[in-house]
Amino acid sequence: MVYPTHHKRIVEDLMGGKFILSNEDHYNSLKENDKFYQEFFKLSFDLELVIKPEFSYLLSKESQENFSRDVSIFVAILCYELDKDGQNFMEMLDYHEFNYEEIDRYFENSSFIDLIENNKTLKDQDSRRTLINGMARRNIVHKSFEDRFVFTQAHRVFIEFAKELAMRKMAVSQPEATNEN
Amino acid sequence: MIKAEPRTILNFLHTYFDVVRDLFEFQSHDGLISKEAFDMIVKKHGQQNIVGKLKEYRIVRNIGSDYEMRDVYFKMMEFLLFEFKPLLPETIEKYKGAISELYMKIRLGENHDREILQERIKNISHQIREFVDLVERNAFRLLSETRDLKSNIERVEYRDKVHKASFWIEYYILPLNKILDVNHSESVTNKLVEVSEYANRKRLDFGDETIRTEFEKLYSQLIQTNQDLLRQSKILTNELLPLLERIRTESLILTGFIEFLRHPYRTQTPPLLKGSRTMVYAKDMLFKVKEFFEQFENQESVYYEESDAQFDKWIFDRDLFKTQLNAELPVKDFFGWCSQMLLKEFPNIETEKFFAITGLLFDEDLNVEFPKKDERTIIETLNSRINLPKIKIETPAKI
Repeated sequence: MVYPTHHKRIVEDLMGGKFILSNEDHYNSLKENDKFYQEFFKLSFDLELVIKPEFSYLLSKESQENFSRDVSIFVAILCYELDKDGQNFMEMLDYHEFNYEEIDRYFENSSFIDLIENNKTLKDQDSRRTLINGMARRNIVHKSFEDRFVFTQAHRVFIEFAKELAMRKMAVSQPEATNEN
Repeated sequence: MIKAEPRTILNFLHTYFDVVRDLFEFQSHDGLISKEAFDMIVKKHGQQNIVGKLKEYRIVRNIGSDYEMRDVYFKMMEFLLFEFKPLLPETIEKYKGAISELYMKIRLGENHDREILQERIKNISHQIREFVDLVERNAFRLLSETRDLKSNIERVEYRDKVHKASFWIEYYILPLNKILDVNHSESVTNKLVEVSEYANRKRLDFGDETIRTEFEKLYSQLIQTNQDLLRQSKILTNELLPLLERIRTESLILTGFIEFLRHPYRTQTPPLLKGSRTMVYAKDMLFKVKEFFEQFENQESVYYEESDAQFDKWIFDRDLFKTQLNAELPVKDFFGWCSQMLLKEFPNIETEKFFAITGLLFDEDLNVEFPKKDERTIIETLNSRINLPKIKIETPAKI
């Protein structure tokens, strides 16, 4: 049997919990062989493959995954603080190059300080560096220098998550209005 | 006087927590628990039989035909559920009077009765603790209210949002800011700084040691208090005062994030695959280490019986061999020399004895020279054949 090009890299990256981004060589091969890979991951590992126009990743069966929770808290606090600072947080996530000092300033002055201090991946500068390095390994951020990074398109997973959560809460809070819409 | 043990009351609260929470929530909303509401709540939980215990443990008391949760339980529930009622800053400001008065009395009564001075210091410390606690609870509640406004999950009109925000700013946020503003001469924080400076002086120069210790404790408390108040003041300045400006913009994404941050550990986050990492140690390392240590957990007694049989007791005499080596320097093949020394004394070479002598090589006094070519020597012991390099020991250079 002939496997698609970059097969090994595709499987290794996805099974390593990495996002494959649309600007990477093996993304095209993955997208061209969409059906094959959907079936491959389902039959081999019982995992669901998500292919979006900008990135691709595997869904976990484990609902209590700490890394995802920690990144969600990180992104949520960052967006809240950016907005408080008068910034357009969506533009910042799309285009801004963050540096560690800036991140530390936002987190250390945040009113979510109790939450931050009680989360072992966010509680201090070193923990946050480790989390950002973990995000870089998964392609959620790209480290441009040792102390600088930009978010990749993979951050949209967390944005979508926030949107869906808001919709669900709003549906509970104003069921009639939502039904009318 | 309550007959029940404290632990029994706590067990009761644990068992009937849902009833107590409903009573608390009703009182938070209405200020009092009407008889109808009280009966309805206990009936809803099917616990009509606990009414007597609720009174006996002094959790609720009668107000006419209605009920009220006692303050200590009400505050505990507020704390446990993190649902604080916003207090009007006037309620908090009263601490300024209490703290100022105690401070004045402490200063004026420095040279009077020692015991009353000690009591006053303890009292001012208690007042400060209560004050900080109230400020923190109020700031927390205000933050929660303002985040609600920003999140706007109910999607109220902008005009209504501005109305609400103005209300919070005018009656709660601005007055609280005044209380916390250290640069304002009339603020409580300013008074606390003054008390802190005074306590700092007195912890060093007060004549009586017991009182000095009390001042020391007060000073330590005030350092922490001032830091906590500064943090609250920062939150007010950065987050609450610019509320009107902040609620201008609205975003569904931010609403989602704010709602998520309310209960981040109770909300299901995107299900990302946990990457498997190759470890430098074996996967079953933990079990192997456990197994290794488990063998020492139950040690059986071991009996040792001395044997009369003769055995070879050879002890390596380092000094003797070193003297001989020094006498024969330079030695062209150190390991060969070791084997010769043993053969002088024994018919065969035992590996253990051979390695004991080779230990001389680590002596720092020896001038060791390694071969430039691959010159080897083979030593045959009773159970091994050892292939070793020819190491030369030179005569030490004379200085």
